Parts: sequence; structure tokens; C-alpha cells
Amino acid sequence: MAQTVPGRTAPPQTTTPQTVTSAVPRPWEDPAATPFVRVEGVTKRFGSFTAVQDVSLDIYRGELFCLLGGSGCGKSTLLRMLAGFEDVSAGRVIIDGRDQTGVPPYLRDTNMMFQSYALFPHLSVEKNIAYGLRREGLPRAEIATRVTDMLSLVQMQGFAARRPHQLSGGQRQRVALARALVKRPKLLLLDEPLGALDRKLREETQLELIKIQQSLGITFIVVTHDQEEAMTLSTRLGVMTEGRIVQTGTPHEIYEFPRSRFVADFIGSVNLFDGRIAVDGTDSATIACPGAGMDIHISHSVAGTVGQAVTVAIRPEKIEMLASPSGTRPNAVEGRVEEVAYMGNLSVYHVRLDSGMIVRVNMSNRSRYDDDVPRPGASVVLEWDGSAGVVLEG
Amino acid sequence: MSGGGPLGRGALGRALARNRRRLVIAVPLLWLGLFFLVPFLYVAKISLSVPAIARPPYLPLWEWKDGTLDLSLNFGNFLFLIQDRLYLAAYLESLRIAAISTLITLLIGYPMAYAIARSPAGRRNLLLMLVILPFWTSFLLRVYAWIGFLKSNGVINNTLMALGLIDTPLVLMQTDFAVYLGIVYTYLPFMILPLYANLARLDGALLEASADLGARPLTTFATVTLPLSARGIVAGCMLVFIPAVGEFVIPALLGGPDTLMIGAVLWNEFFSNRDWPVASAVAVVMLLVLILPIMLLRRVQAAPEADASKAEDAA
Repeated sequence: MAQTVPGRTAPPQTTTPQTVTSAVPRPWEDPAATPFVRVEGVTKRFGSFTAVQDVSLDIYRGELFCLLGGSGCGKSTLLRMLAGFEDVSAGRVIIDGRDQTGVPPYLRDTNMMFQSYALFPHLSVEKNIAYGLRREGLPRAEIATRVTDMLSLVQMQGFAARRPHQLSGGQRQRVALARALVKRPKLLLLDEPLGALDRKLREETQLELIKIQQSLGITFIVVTHDQEEAMTLSTRLGVMTEGRIVQTGTPHEIYEFPRSRFVADFIGSVNLFDGRIAVDGTDSATIACPGAGMDIHISHSVAGTVGQAVTVAIRPEKIEMLASPSGTRPNAVEGRVEEVAYMGNLSVYHVRLDSGMIVRVNMSNRSRYDDDVPRPGASVVLEWDGSAGVVLEG
Repeated sequence: MSGGGPLGRGALGRALARNRRRLVIAVPLLWLGLFFLVPFLYVAKISLSVPAIARPPYLPLWEWKDGTLDLSLNFGNFLFLIQDRLYLAAYLESLRIAAISTLITLLIGYPMAYAIARSPAGRRNLLLMLVILPFWTSFLLRVYAWIGFLKSNGVINNTLMALGLIDTPLVLMQTDFAVYLGIVYTYLPFMILPLYANLARLDGALLEASADLGARPLTTFATVTLPLSARGIVAGCMLVFIPAVGEFVIPALLGGPDTLMIGAVLWNEFFSNRDWPVASAVAVVMLLVLILPIMLLRRVQAAPEADASKAEDAA
């Protein structure tokens, strides 16, 4: 029988896995909140090439903000302007109320974790981490304490005397993080921090990075090309293409409420139905989609004129695939299964509609047996709710 | 049929394959042995013999007479080097001139190598070409050209007098200044090229990381750039210092009667005094003096990464 022994602490409770965003307030929704980092109409030109074009961005204290985009979209250049490695061609950067124009990197309260880690090859792990503190001229004893604390934070206690070339990729990543964090920057800039790690290590490190960020309360700006990483890490993210930020929002907002075809297509996979507004009522609308051979019903009004070209974006997991029509959903269309890709947790089906259009449908594999699943060639009905589709400007 | 038995060509082939590494090294070893070690041993032999008015101008080291091998080693030449202050002075002067020239070459060459390494990739090859370009004309010709510049009615003095800056010509020729100028000018490419090779490999992200961590440009240079280019500095300095110690042409042409370098002493002993044994002794001692820096160079080059963490301690 379990008895409570006086003076003995209760056994540690199993902590329920927290959703990452739940603990974080949402200052960007508060009009009175002052942004910690303000990017005001920043443009960066290299000769005739414009790398960053008129970007404005407000980032709040304690946020983990991701800049997401493909290679060459300007995300790294924007980060380098925040660090002070590049001058702005136009506009200005304000960090914690101070205009950073003309402030060199060594005078900024920011630190950066480099994509290549940029660890000093001639210095030990310990001296790499201590480097920034020594530049501040702190007493040796304090430097030693802070380096030791940092080594234990990134779980590298046993490696203080090693040189960078004696470490694995994951260990170097930890040292780079520790070196950037030890100065207690107001703002930490991370350029593809997990890019060089293999998939499994990357997933572990993502969660660890969030934990460290929350425990230290430092504002992080992370540049990444990996949309999954951006979704997992960020409080909010900005999607960049061709030097511009096309949408800013929480991962949920970006995924479920994309504001353009580009964002809908870039994040996750999506079915895009081109059409025109046929009916726009007060709380419903109908989009005529000749390409799909059907009218798509939407359960809210769309701000547009009848006849206007629009695109309806529907995520593959929002579509139900049935053997026969249920009659309960406003949208239903017949098709034939063309291909099935088994991914383990779910299967991706390519269904060809009678009009010839291919629609992607995701179904989670609840059963371990594949007796009931539709096979290529099977006739199916695809159904979705009126709220499933996002109407985007053509 | 598999080719050859254990004693056939297969066995020879296997033996060759097994010893291929040794064979590869054997070629340069043979070259060095034939063209460096043998002549050096010959010089060493002469340095231990007695000078004589003869042809060759020294007595043989050994003689076979009546069943006796007469071996006489004359260390008098080496003792003479110690006794006559001239030689020690010449050695020290050579080392001093070579060391100062090397330092000046480093101070000029480092910024040049750094600038070339940091210039746009397209311009680097052009700049390197300009560094190597002087090698396309004869070394002797280039030193003579300097005489044209430095002599009392040369380009420099004429220009300064025409500008009215001086009334009487400056004495530039036959001075230590002219010797330093000649050595620095001649050996600068040997300093720039290894430094460039080293600095071009320096990862720019390291400099950015240093700045990001709060280091001003000079601190970054002292704590990152300099320690990481230590190997290039050592290589460049050795390439300049070693030949500069034995330099003969430049002090002979540009230097004055006071310029006492060991190369000139060597020349005088051989050709003016025809004292081959003492000249050989001078050469042997010079080699021993130079072996020290060469061994230092080898040690630095063999180390996996120059242990420059001490530099960080000092900073």
C-alpha cells in the first residue's frame, strides 16, 4: 500500500506534453504592445539586384519568429541586416527602441548563430564560448561560471577542452548555440540552425531549442527553408519570396488561412481549383469551377464581385473519400483513384475527377489492415464541408 | 591460368606494389642525395683539410702509404672562424640583415596578401599575376635597375633635386638602406604567395562571428585572423629569411664596403684568397645555423593546426 511518508516529496508527476504555443502570450494581437524589433520599409540592393524589397515587420519580446522561404528569397540577407553585417539600402531597423542604422555588429545587442556554425577552429569549445565574454572584459571567474552554465545548458559538459574538429555535427551545433547565448543577447538570430543535422536529430533539437528559448526568454529570429521546422518552432512566421514578406501569422493562420496562392502552395500541399464567383450571398457563396467540372459551395460570403476569377484552396486532409455519397455535405464529386502513396501514418491518394483534374486526398491509416482502403482504379466520391475551402484571388 | 607463380612476374609486381610508397619517395631522395648531400659532404671534406698552394688548393684528407691509412682532420679552419672576429661579425650581421629584411617584408607583404585574398574573386588572379610578374625578367637585371634609381645622379635624386626638395644628392647607393631595399624588393613575392594561400582559405564567417561576439576589427585581427594565418607567416618568413642570410648578389651590388654579409665573405675566401678550406668551413657553419629555422618550419608545418590558443590567452 502506498503511504505518504512525512518529509518526502511527492513522486515527480509525469508532465503532460505541452503544445508549444499555449504558454506564449500573443502580443501581436494587442494594439498597445510595443514591438521589440521593428523593420521599417527595409530594402537591400546589391548592384542592380534587389535582395530585400520594402520589408516591414514587427516582432515582439519573447517571440520565436521564423523567416521562411526558398533559397534566394532574401531571408538570410534580412537576418544579416539585423545582425549588422549588411547595411540597409533604404528603411531602418529598430531593436529595443534604438535605431540600428550605422551601428556595427560588435556594438549591437544581438548575437547570431551561423549556418556553418563558424566555430573558431584554433580555440577549444570552452574558449569559443568564452570568446564573447572576454571581449566584454568580464572577470575571469565570472566568465568561467557562465561558460560552465552554458555548457550544461546545451549538455556539453564533458567537451570543454575539445577542438571543433573533434566534435560531431550535432555537438558543434550545440557549441554554436552556447556561444551565441552566453552573451545574454536581447535578440538571437539563427541562420538555418538545424540545417546540417539529420532528420531525427533535427526533430529532437527543435523541441530543445524551444525549451531553451522559453527558459531564457530571449527573442529568437530563425531563418529556415524547412516549412515543417518553421511550423514547429515559431510563435509566428513570415513567408518570404522574391525579397518580400508575403504573409505573417501564426503557423495555424498561415496554414489554414493563406492569403495568396503562393502561401497556400508553399506551406503543405493543397488542391487549387480555379473558377469564378457565381453567387455571393450574405453567408454563403458559390464558385463555378469548370476545370473541376463542379460548383464549389462556400459557407461564408466572399468579398468579391460576381464573375471575378478566384482560386479555391482545399487541403488534402479536409477532403473525405467515400465509396458512395453520404448526402450530408454541400460539396461532392465523383472520381477514380489513380495512385496511392503509403506514408505509414497516412496515405496520399491521387483521385482523377471526371473532368480530368487530379485531386490529392489524405486519409489516416486507422486500421493496420489494408482490406477496406480504396485501391487504384476504385470509383470514389470526394466530399468536403463548406468551410473547408479558402477562396483566394485568382 | 593465373599469371605467374610465386617466383614469376607476379611476385615482382606484388613486391613493387608493396614498396610503391618507398619507390615514390626514392626519386626525390636520390635527387637530394646526388645534388645536395654529396656536394655538401664534399664541401665538408674540404673544410677539414689543410690549405695549400696547389691545384686543387688543399691537401688530401687521407693518404694510403705503406699499408697505413693516414687520415688527418684539420679543425684549424673552424678554429680560425672563431679566432678571427670578422667571421662572427659577418654571421651576426647576415642574421641581423636577414631578420630585419624578413620583418619588413612581412609588414609589407601581409597587408598585400590580405588585400588580394579579400578582393573580388575575378581580380585576385590579376593581382597575383602582378606579384609574380617581376620573375619574368632576370633577377640581376632588376637589381641593376635599382642602381639606376639609387645612384647619386639616378632617378630618385634627379627627381628630388628637380623639385627643389634637396640641393645635394642623397647617398642612397652602397648603404645598408639599399641592401634592405634590394632584399625586401626581391623576396616580397616569396612572402606574399604563402600568406595569400593561407589567407584565401580563411572563412569569412569566422570574422563575422568574431564581430558579432563583440570584437572590434583590430581585436578580430589579433585573435582570429593572425592566429589562423600563423602557418602562412612562418612559411613566408622562412622562405625569405633562409635565402636572405646567404644573399651575395644584392649586398655586392647595392651594399657598401661596410656591408659585411657572410655570402660576400664566402665569395672572397673562395675567389680572392683561394682558401677553399676556410670558405668551406664558412659554408658548413652557415648551413648549421640555418638548419635551426628549417627544423622550426618543419615542426610548424607538421602540426595539425597551429596551436594558437596561446595567442588568445595573450590577447
